[in-house]
Amino acid sequence: MRAERTQVLAGNVFAIGDAQGDMEPDPRTPTGLFAYDTRFLSHWVLTVDGHRLNALSRVDVAYFETRFLLVPGTASHYVDADVSVLRHRSIDDSFHERITVFNHSSRPAEYTIRIEVDTDFADTAEIARPARRAARISARTGEGELRLRYERDRFVRETVVTTTVPAQIDEHGLTFRVTVEPAGTWAADLHVDMVIRGAGGRDLRAGITAHQQRVRQAMQQDLADWLDRAPTLVAENSALGGAYRRCLVDLAALRYTPLAYAGRVPVAGLPWSMGLYGRDAMVACLQSLPYAPELTPATLRMLALGQGGRLDDDHDEEPGKIVSVFRYGESAAFGEEPTALYFGAADTTPLFVILLDEYERWSGDEDLVRELRHPARMALDWIGEYGDLLGDGYLRYQRRNLRNGTVNQCWKDSPNAITYADGREPAFPRATCELQGYAYDALRRGARLARQCWGDPAYADGLQARAAALRERFNRDFWLADREYYALAVEPDGTPVDALASNMGHLLWSGIVPPERAARVAEHLLGPQLWSGWGVRTLGAGQQRYNPVGTHLGSVWLWDTALIAAGLRRYGLDEAAGRLATGLFDVALRLDGRMPEVIAGYDRSVTKYPVQLPSGGYPQAWAAGSLLMTLTTVLGLDPCGENLLVDSALPPGLGRIELLDVPGRWGHSDAYGRDRARHPARIR
Amino acid sequence: MATTTVEEQLCQSVPGRHADLPETTCGTIRLDLHTGEHTQHWYLTIADQRVEVTRSVAEADLVIGAERAVLDQIAAGELHLSAAFLRNALTARGDLRLMMLLRRLFPGPAGARHPRDAAREGLRR
Repeated sequence: MRAERTQVLAGNVFAIGDAQGDMEPDPRTPTGLFAYDTRFLSHWVLTVDGHRLNALSRVDVAYFETRFLLVPGTASHYVDADVSVLRHRSIDDSFHERITVFNHSSRPAEYTIRIEVDTDFADTAEIARPARRAARISARTGEGELRLRYERDRFVRETVVTTTVPAQIDEHGLTFRVTVEPAGTWAADLHVDMVIRGAGGRDLRAGITAHQQRVRQAMQQDLADWLDRAPTLVAENSALGGAYRRCLVDLAALRYTPLAYAGRVPVAGLPWSMGLYGRDAMVACLQSLPYAPELTPATLRMLALGQGGRLDDDHDEEPGKIVSVFRYGESAAFGEEPTALYFGAADTTPLFVILLDEYERWSGDEDLVRELRHPARMALDWIGEYGDLLGDGYLRYQRRNLRNGTVNQCWKDSPNAITYADGREPAFPRATCELQGYAYDALRRGARLARQCWGDPAYADGLQARAAALRERFNRDFWLADREYYALAVEPDGTPVDALASNMGHLLWSGIVPPERAARVAEHLLGPQLWSGWGVRTLGAGQQRYNPVGTHLGSVWLWDTALIAAGLRRYGLDEAAGRLATGLFDVALRLDGRMPEVIAGYDRSVTKYPVQLPSGGYPQAWAAGSLLMTLTTVLGLDPCGENLLVDSALPPGLGRIELLDVPGRWGHSDAYGRDRARHPARIR
Repeated sequence: MATTTVEEQLCQSVPGRHADLPETTCGTIRLDLHTGEHTQHWYLTIADQRVEVTRSVAEADLVIGAERAVLDQIAAGELHLSAAFLRNALTARGDLRLMMLLRRLFPGPAGARHPRDAAREGLRR
């Protein structure tokens, strides 16, 4: 049983502690205060008269604000406590804690309030792979402040703890000796600034008053506006409404402003991936287009800025390639990991074109399509030039950075994710099937953009022809006629890799599957090997490497299942799509709307409850987006010219759903659906 | 040791047309190369996929300052511009978006391979 964790976050700044709000190192999970991929507090423990505190209650006011009500002593002794402590924590680009002590006795009381402070300035990349750290941290005390500092060449990180009330400050913390009147209170504000010296000349320190104002007013208002801009969901099942709101809030919490860009883009998720990951960000954008379209232009522009421009083996970079990850930690800064700007992903580049086109379909924003013409063309050209590693027309990957490059440069990026049914691993370069679907989709969408917005019909014709050729070739080479499903991948020599995996579901989303094969693919996706009852397993039961708790070897990723559900509806397989949607909604309802990134692949009838895996985090942008995408799927929302087409096919048990004020090129439009009978299209 | 200096690059490969630059991007970048007490200023004007290089101390949209040795390494593709920035080996003031473009103006690491060549090598092995 894991100890309870509490967290506050704002973009890529976050703090994770225990149920009392204390933070102490834990080898199993990142705890402490983090910003820009660096741990600025590893130890933050509050005591009263030398006693640790116990939580009586906790209120998570907002994702960036938590209140703990605490009393000293252990659970069996605290009932008669005559002192209690309110710990009110908030975060934006700095961390703030207001400690209020209440004396409940009829006599003045003296207390020693102590906050222990320490840090290791670890890079989040190291926390995932713990190693002995030789960092030398210096501690300096000053007037009302404790300053912890780490220096490596000119790389400087500082944690500065300040207090509004006089304290005795030593190198390990702050002590307050106070007298509190009967029925009186005492309070102090502790403020923690995280300083990144030099990075952009941006000093992250902020005044205490400014922070409080930002959190209490600006951030509250920002969240209220964010929710207000999103469509209103009215669901007969009110828990679904709660889950919808929760997912919107999760996405709001994960927005951050990169150093090199002025707009807010989604980070992948807490705690392992609090940086901009191209794939995760673009998937979250695709999922949230009908709900929060504002994420997309910022994400596309930021990714265009970081687009590859030359050949670089260490960063697996090529001209036109869209970035896999941007990070700011020490290992990125010193090139120990190539993550300052790493390009090891074969799917991000087609996804960039797909997202640009899908955004235009919803928003009608042709200006952005024209603004991003050049990066989009570079991306389309990359698919045929650098992405086609053997010149045989398939999009493949093979890392050139053999030291610490990503082995599998597709969404199933764990090192052993791509195998044959009998467990053998194919040679490189590898062409997984879903990459071919994305490439096909990107070429077709690129052709549409070239015709409609770039005034380049000749280029469009070329893309169209490439797409058609890819489709034909793919359906010949990847289809396993004897088993009637698509191979997970093909080897360099064309041998199909025969594992039964969820990847083929993406092919439906991309539209590369001939209609007459779609039903067979659906039967496999919903068959006993792949379908868990909650979602589609990444790898089918019965495959040699199958493991229901293996990251990409049998567990269920919610975004994967949501994308497959969308694909099934695309092919008119509404009943199958409805079963997937029901599974995902049930996960959301069982977990109070908190969509985890990944759950175990155990059969639903065995566990009765979605089992979360520690390798996945919460919140995760593309997990939260999964619920949104599934709503889009069951309501059958689709831009059709200047209108929003609604063609609902709600699975049984969902009752009536109204989604009001869906933003798009039509202004705002409403969508309605009811379960059981399929309703005719409604166009507004 | 860098095999090529930043000045060589600024005179040879940086000026002129760069087909991989977005045609919608324009701006000015000043590079301040520090050598001991001495500072040399280079001024880049980017517009219409072309880069013009002059010597000027005029204010620019982005001003980058670093030791000459650091910029030599960046120009030779031995040090990643983003990594140098993160470790504070160079300072940047102004529009950081232009820094992402500056990275592309230098040719990149020597010996970098086209993925097809790397794949062919791999298959032969």
